[in-house]
Amino acid sequence: MIRLGYLEKNTFLEAVNKKSGANVLNCYQCGKCVSTCPVSSYMDYPPRVIMQMIKLGMKEEALKANSMWFCLTCSACSGRCPREIDIPAVMEAIRHIAIEENYVNKTKKVKEIRTFHNIFLDMVKRYGRNYELRMMAEFNIRTRNLFKDMHLAPKALLKGKITIGHEHVKRGKAIRKMYAMADKLEKSQKG
Amino acid sequence: MTKLTYFPGCSAHGTSEEFDHTLKLVMKTLNVELEEIPDWNCCGATSAHVMTENLALSLPLRNLVLAEKLENNTMGIACASCYSRMKSTKKYMDEHPDKAKELTSSVIDEGEYTGKVEIKSMLQFCYEEVGVEKIKSLVKKSLSGLKVACYYGCLLTRPKGVTQFDSPEYPMSMDRIMEALGATAVDFDYKTECCGASFSISRTEVVHLLTGKILEMAKEAGADLIVVACPLCQSNLDMRQPDIEKHLGKKIGIPVMYFTQLMALAFGYPEKELKLSKHIVPVEEALSNIGKVVETPQQPTKTKKAVPSAESEAK
Ligand code: SF4
Ligand code: SF4
Repeated sequence: MIRLGYLEKNTFLEAVNKKSGANVLNCYQCGKCVSTCPVSSYMDYPPRVIMQMIKLGMKEEALKANSMWFCLTCSACSGRCPREIDIPAVMEAIRHIAIEENYVNKTKKVKEIRTFHNIFLDMVKRYGRNYELRMMAEFNIRTRNLFKDMHLAPKALLKGKITIGHEHVKRGKAIRKMYAMADKLEKSQKG
Repeated sequence: MTKLTYFPGCSAHGTSEEFDHTLKLVMKTLNVELEEIPDWNCCGATSAHVMTENLALSLPLRNLVLAEKLENNTMGIACASCYSRMKSTKKYMDEHPDKAKELTSSVIDEGEYTGKVEIKSMLQFCYEEVGVEKIKSLVKKSLSGLKVACYYGCLLTRPKGVTQFDSPEYPMSMDRIMEALGATAVDFDYKTECCGASFSISRTEVVHLLTGKILEMAKEAGADLIVVACPLCQSNLDMRQPDIEKHLGKKIGIPVMYFTQLMALAFGYPEKELKLSKHIVPVEEALSNIGKVVETPQQPTKTKKAVPSAESEAK
């Protein structure tokens, strides 16, 4: 067990504070965020516990958890936090650190969440826009669950809720350049 | 005629065509011309900020830069998710001009960013720029008799520091607009609860749980229908409703309409312009309440209902 006073330098806390712009040390463990969070019951550790882990420098445990992958960025918690901590920004910071440092949560649920986000980003890279029906279809193929949501498709198509064709950004080149350069920048910041 | 830069968002030409269409009708009546950002791109919601830092800022920033090429001072955004991404990017860029320079010089190939264009959601535009009084004065067909639950979701009013609009806990702007149209806005405790839209495809069971509660509470509050201002909320609440009913093991059957559909109706546009056939949960029965006398209050029925169910559970 690590105790706060014993930790000489909590680099994890520093990294999270820097990335999120929040000061996690301000958290006084009241738990208001937990009772507010609509998805805390799905999380390995609810927001309050994540805050304490960061304060204690429990990097491994925090980065391997599924909590930040379940955060919806709904900002319900931060609006009520008596210490005005930007909790979704903290969740985002540890998610980005986990991606950068290759901490992989191997549960099916987190894998599927990541798969979806990757499909989304690929689609925007290709077309500059996102397109729901295609995303659904691709998600089903990649997660080997071909029939998920397919009962919705005929009705949605019939009602013109989703369409077969879709629009592209004209300057697709600009979008692809943006992806390449943003990625390069990300890597240079990391290194 | 006022001009407003318009960012429709990816769903405007697919899942939420009825929003886009009725928004344009409403703006015509309000004498506002919408000027779409030329060659706009997806703002990256709901995935870019989850996975990346620079891309999450660059996708909205390109739109902000393109918007500055138009003459207008304000941009209106239809989707709450796009609004949130674009407005938080604007805030970040205004506070970190060095970052804006870095991105516009190396990542985005469209010119400079100065930050001169204000961003508002279309709901915010209607409430702040047009105003309830003006809306009221344009009503040709009162919606009296119709009871609505206004659902704002999370991103239209949160976080307060970004949106600078209405209350993050219990907003009333949409309720006031609905009242101006003659409808009755019911007390609705779940008006800012998250519907889980970002998990719509990947973690559908979360959506069923969160959205199920919102639908049940709206029904309990005595509403004929739910009014929304975001395409993602609409498709979660409407398209997934039959699945949620299955999941809950009971019928809810509450239609979900855009605030602009009801504004267009009250401004005298014929019902066929509302594109009602797009709805999965049919709205016709709810709309037939228009003109009927509303029985108030709903509160006592709520408690009456709650007591026997608690008792039966205890048995
Ligand atoms: S609400 Fe704020 S202070 Fe309270 S436990 Fe959560 S993060 Fe800490
Ligand atoms: S922002 Fe994330 S942690 Fe906070 S209440 Fe919403 S889902 Fe929970």
